[in-house]
Amino acid sequence: MKRDPDVIVIGAGGGGPVIAKELGELGISVLVLEAGPWYGNKKWPEPNENRGAAKESSDPGDLDGSLYRRQLTRLENDMDDQVSGKFRWGAADRRRTPWYRNIPDPALLWQSAGIGGSTLHYYANSLRAFPEVIDNEWPINYSDLVPYYEKVEATLPVEFAPTTSKEALFYYGADKAGFSLNQTLDVTSSGYRPQPNAILPPNEHLMDPNYSLEELSHMEGCTLSGHCGQGCPYGPALDKMAKRSTTVSYVPLAMKTGNVTFRPNTFVTKVLTDYNTSGNRQASGVQIRDTWTGETEELRAKVVVMAAGCVETPRLWLNSDLPYNPWVGRGLTNHYMDMVTGTFDEETLMGILGSPSTNPFAGHTSGARLDYPGLGMIENIGESPGMSAQLLFGFSQYGYNCIRQHEGDLWDQQGRLVGSELEKAMEDYSRTLTLSAITDDEVQFHNRVELDPHIQDEHGAVPRVHYEPSKKSKKRREQLTRIATDILRKAGAKKVHRSNLPANYYIHLQSTMRMGFVVDTSCEAYQVGRLYVADNSADFDALGGPNPTLTTQALATRTAELLASKYF
Amino acid sequence: MLPSVQTGYGTPFNNMDLGVHDYIIYSLDHSISIQQQLHHHIVPLAYPTASMLNIAAMQLVYSQHAQASPQSMVSSGGMFSHLSRTDRILTLSALENLEIDLYVLPSPFHNNAGMVKYVTDAVNRFSLFGYYSEWPAYGSTRLCPPGDRQLEFFPLTWQQVGYPGVSLGYRDFRGFLITMAEVRT
Repeated sequence: MKRDPDVIVIGAGGGGPVIAKELGELGISVLVLEAGPWYGNKKWPEPNENRGAAKESSDPGDLDGSLYRRQLTRLENDMDDQVSGKFRWGAADRRRTPWYRNIPDPALLWQSAGIGGSTLHYYANSLRAFPEVIDNEWPINYSDLVPYYEKVEATLPVEFAPTTSKEALFYYGADKAGFSLNQTLDVTSSGYRPQPNAILPPNEHLMDPNYSLEELSHMEGCTLSGHCGQGCPYGPALDKMAKRSTTVSYVPLAMKTGNVTFRPNTFVTKVLTDYNTSGNRQASGVQIRDTWTGETEELRAKVVVMAAGCVETPRLWLNSDLPYNPWVGRGLTNHYMDMVTGTFDEETLMGILGSPSTNPFAGHTSGARLDYPGLGMIENIGESPGMSAQLLFGFSQYGYNCIRQHEGDLWDQQGRLVGSELEKAMEDYSRTLTLSAITDDEVQFHNRVELDPHIQDEHGAVPRVHYEPSKKSKKRREQLTRIATDILRKAGAKKVHRSNLPANYYIHLQSTMRMGFVVDTSCEAYQVGRLYVADNSADFDALGGPNPTLTTQALATRTAELLASKYF
Repeated sequence: MLPSVQTGYGTPFNNMDLGVHDYIIYSLDHSISIQQQLHHHIVPLAYPTASMLNIAAMQLVYSQHAQASPQSMVSSGGMFSHLSRTDRILTLSALENLEIDLYVLPSPFHNNAGMVKYVTDAVNRFSLFGYYSEWPAYGSTRLCPPGDRQLEFFPLTWQQVGYPGVSLGYRDFRGFLITMAEVRT
């Protein structure tokens, strides 16, 4: 960029590219700064090996689907390893450690650096908030959001997930458990439905053996490869990839406006401010650090948008010495969840599915759901073996199944499995159905992202994350876990394992810069003018349970309009 | 905590052969780095974690909650390696429940419950992810920088659990229960 941009956006994850594309279409020039690498851009043919010749890219001609496919290997360790995976929270150079966050609990915190951010590895679940939660609790109305939901749904685009074996089994069990199909986008009562996913529908020739899977993987549409979590790179071109991470949806659209530039490998360490003529503090730019060279720069703009995620956005506020606000970093909500895994015998599956296995690795990684306003939701999940083993049998607040006395008979086993019991559980992998029970988490002031007073990394004081669910959230999780277990039993599961996950499994974090407390209803900070938030942290609460990405994208679309009309 | 692997050809592999311990050591030694003045330090965790396991094992043995065997699983191994599988699990359990004297643990675990809980749990997760992901199949390149690793064979555990590995797709389309077009109208 030769001249100062009008707007600087910090973070190219779920929200940043959306606001950038919308502003770009209004003729406003935008620079998006991203801490991680860029996969699928010809300017960085080896994004993890060297810093490349260029610093930024704004030409859609730089985007390259075949490069994206080569880089996204679909191997779970190569892509999803928390320490060295391509989708980790860390610098592009994988010889280096990830960026440290102090999470002093048995904890796993999903955060991803790179153009696309956490949408690189998300399952593309793109559903709306529960209307009653927005209407009863938020400072805006559900009807304010609907036109923006519709716009994002059309742009990504969103379609209900196709049925594969594991979804068919889930619907069967949910039906037997007394639930019915909820044929809606606006959920007001409990029921099951396919996930509204930002994944292109399967190609019409997918079931036609005259087309090879190799051919189909270069054509438009989902091939049901099950690699959502490894960043599905199947499609005829980068902007036509089946799973609609922002890096293949909003990023190309933003670049096509001719007004948006993306700069990867750039960590923002400080928001810069000055005072306007009335003496009020306002954002004026950012200080950045090149993650390859350590060089720092100051960049100026008329407006700054923070979209660095629920951990980094409050950390950046606090490291920038912006005005004190007791709610910055506070009110953290989490997708506080548990998981139950049912194992089925071949005969049962033959009777229901006409095939002897569920093959959880096939189809959308999460294609079916049960909404339960007031409690949260239940989703099916079919991850690859390493991810499954780690989460289902290696991560638990219950401890080890083999040294605990069993309480009650609802679950055949609970907690971590070791040795032969682990081996047995994994041998049954292809005949399992796993359900996650995800709580409508309650906002608590004590749940927070704060600065660690003792530890700094190259970007300043590191974040420390503290989370302890409320009594109400714990009760909700228990109820949902029992409902999920009942669905598995009703579907005919012979054995049900309960993971009993620790509360500090951090996923879909929200509400650390809450609307009505830190930002106003247009998502502009109360205490710093020209400073906006466009990520999950602006949420008032946890939406009633639904996955937050679509709401963040709808809000970012709305914020773009409000920001443009106020300052441009 | 991991099972033993049989290849089906009569050659038993054990976890040492799959190299999962190398994965855990690599992961522990590459988890944390901090900035101190001009120095960007990596904080290696593998050695202090091993010490922590030995110290915790010793406390369990002294309090007669675990029994040490004269045989170690590894040459010149510490107390943890002299315990049975169940007693090793009890040791991990005691650590995550903080049922040990945190004062005698080495830095960074010394009186640092959060770090003890985080790392004890991570050892479990790393073990299972290392074992059931493709990591062991990087074979002789598994300790190279991530970008230089090459898969040398199909992962044995994937074969064992029936995971086909990287897939171009599956012909398992069973139709749509509902579509956006139906719901919109």
